[in-house]
Amino acid sequence: MGKKKRGHPDVEEILGRPWCYYCERDFEDLKLLISHQKAKHFKCDRCGKRLNTAGGLSVHMNQVHKENLTSVENALPNRQGLDIEIFGMEGVPDDIVQQHNQRIIQNFYTAQAERQAATGNPPRGLSGGQGPAKKLKYETPEELKQRLAAHRAQVAAQKAAGASGVPPTAAPADGQGTPPFPPPQQQGYPYPGGSGAPTYPATQTYPAAAFPPGASPPPGAAAASFALPARPPSGSAAAPPGAAAPPYFYNGAPGAAPPPGYPGGAPSTVDELVANAARQGAGGDDIDQLIRMAEAGIKPARAQAEEGAAAAAAGDKKKKGSRMVYADTEVSPEERMAMLPRYRWVEGAAA
Amino acid sequence: MAPAAQFEAAQPPQDAISALVFAPGASNRLLVSSWDKNVYLYEVADGVEEANLVGTFEHRAPVLDVCFGSSPDEAFTAGLDRQVKRFVVAPTIEEEEVANIFGNRIDLATGEQTVMSKHSAPVRCVVYSADHSLLISASWDSTLHVHNPTDPSQPPLTIPLPGKPHALAASPTKVVVAMTARLVHIYDLPTLAAALASPQQQQPPQPWQQRESSLKFLTRAVACMPNDAGYATSSIEGRVAVEWFEDSAESQARKYAFKCHRQAVPEDEGGGGGDVVYPVNALAFHPVYGTFASGGGDGTVALWDAEAKRRMRQYQKFPESVAALAFSQDGKYLAIGACPGFETGMEDYSGAGKTKVFVRGLGETEAKGKGAK
Repeated sequence: MGKKKRGHPDVEEILGRPWCYYCERDFEDLKLLISHQKAKHFKCDRCGKRLNTAGGLSVHMNQVHKENLTSVENALPNRQGLDIEIFGMEGVPDDIVQQHNQRIIQNFYTAQAERQAATGNPPRGLSGGQGPAKKLKYETPEELKQRLAAHRAQVAAQKAAGASGVPPTAAPADGQGTPPFPPPQQQGYPYPGGSGAPTYPATQTYPAAAFPPGASPPPGAAAASFALPARPPSGSAAAPPGAAAPPYFYNGAPGAAPPPGYPGGAPSTVDELVANAARQGAGGDDIDQLIRMAEAGIKPARAQAEEGAAAAAAGDKKKKGSRMVYADTEVSPEERMAMLPRYRWVEGAAA
Repeated sequence: MAPAAQFEAAQPPQDAISALVFAPGASNRLLVSSWDKNVYLYEVADGVEEANLVGTFEHRAPVLDVCFGSSPDEAFTAGLDRQVKRFVVAPTIEEEEVANIFGNRIDLATGEQTVMSKHSAPVRCVVYSADHSLLISASWDSTLHVHNPTDPSQPPLTIPLPGKPHALAASPTKVVVAMTARLVHIYDLPTLAAALASPQQQQPPQPWQQRESSLKFLTRAVACMPNDAGYATSSIEGRVAVEWFEDSAESQARKYAFKCHRQAVPEDEGGGGGDVVYPVNALAFHPVYGTFASGGGDGTVALWDAEAKRRMRQYQKFPESVAALAFSQDGKYLAIGACPGFETGMEDYSGAGKTKVFVRGLGETEAKGKGAK
């Protein structure tokens, strides 16, 4: 699968763009940035000479025009100082760089979330297959959300299946402590009509080392106890959206093919195991969700979406209605001033 | 480069500036009217880059506008006290005489004041037309008074207006009045002169043209092109429009407006990237090159080339809002009146201590446009 050409650059590309310290604009390459700075920030307003740095302009103003440069033109209010020597990207203070990067990242993800909300497309790179081959460097809040949704769908499917009379085989995600069900993740639980061999041979999702074939865990062993170490260090074995379809996901050995309609009760990914284990301790879907969210350092999806919408709405409003310093369309500032006691003039009162 | 520099006038007005104007002819006199009830006379000295206060003329109430008459020795003021006054500007008042002015209320033979007319509300603007020897004042009582400045005893011609006037400007043959409700009336000066000469006529003269401002917000300033071709208006909403007098389709198609005097709010500082929009308080055409300057509430002054539709220059920010602008007659100086701007929501206002008068010497070609492209 070749890398598709996308309309949206990824975050590294955006972060790699040179940007202007004075106005936070970013550019295709450093040359453009430098010519921007010369034209916008380091240009002498008396003779139009373009200098390389603010210091250079200051010296020029001093020597040629006998004037003192006090601030950098066209700069953001807090970036007008002459004390920092900027040339291209050189000289930008570290904290400002950090701040800038953070802003870029935040904007990037906000924009991505907006795009996804608008198109309904899954996050890229997650739409097709899955497995350890897919190495993701990071996990975006969107991916987490997606995974959660998939998981919940699976849970729902299991519930549905359970209700329709399918044997309650390893229904890990179902209501905890419900008497008819055995503890979740009893890996050794034999499938009805299945072979006696452990039904969970090395699946594609498990690294072989963590779960050597033949070394079947003792029946009844808590899944988490072995599943946790198996989690890839990158923490990236995310269940793609497709995970909601259990048969497709079932990774059982050929010999242990599940009966048709088997809901796929076995946790299909390491993460799910983790999730299930957590659920055992935590109690409810919602709480679990909150915990997972908290672990991942993100806000609940709903709140986030609302927040995003609110922010977008606010942005729109601001863009449309810029703030006017004087907004009275009927009465002029002079008339207002004339009404102030300080200036009011009363016929006959004055000398 | 020419000896272009900017300097600050010594002894600026004590309160906000309402208007400033350079004397006609070769004189480098600069009159500044202020809300502190005084009119200040400065002499801009060539070569030494100084503007010295040479006289102060006290009024009864804040002065809203000032203009020179036919000579650098005659000036007219518009006051909050509803009067249009004529006063003779003393030719270089000596220091002890300045003291006299303060003591004796312009008792000097040369500093006498004459009331030209009385409106029933404060007088916002006065303009003098040298070509027709007419003095026109506009008042918030929604009238224009047309005076014969050589004969203060003659009653002025009163023209009713449909709204309160806010700005007034004269070109060689026209006078443009900008009012509330975005009304703009253009009067023909020869017609006004004729009407003033025949007071028995019943009907007040009708405007030569009635227009609606091209700007959506309250008009803030008007300035006429020195070549009598058109005028520029500015609004409280950071915009300037340039229009032509000629009422032909192609002339009217040439008119345009543009945004200026705005400041983008950086996105990371609590804004959604919107703009802070400042009023454009002042407009002035360069008498020689026909380019014009705009001064805004953001404290910047920009030079524009009306023909090429381009900004030629933007000067370094002034410490306060730019309230008034004036070019000297020879175009060598640009005077800038800076004082805090009155903003929406202000309960109180004072320009005391923050008011300054700057004079900027302009380079030979600094204000020269490049022509239409």
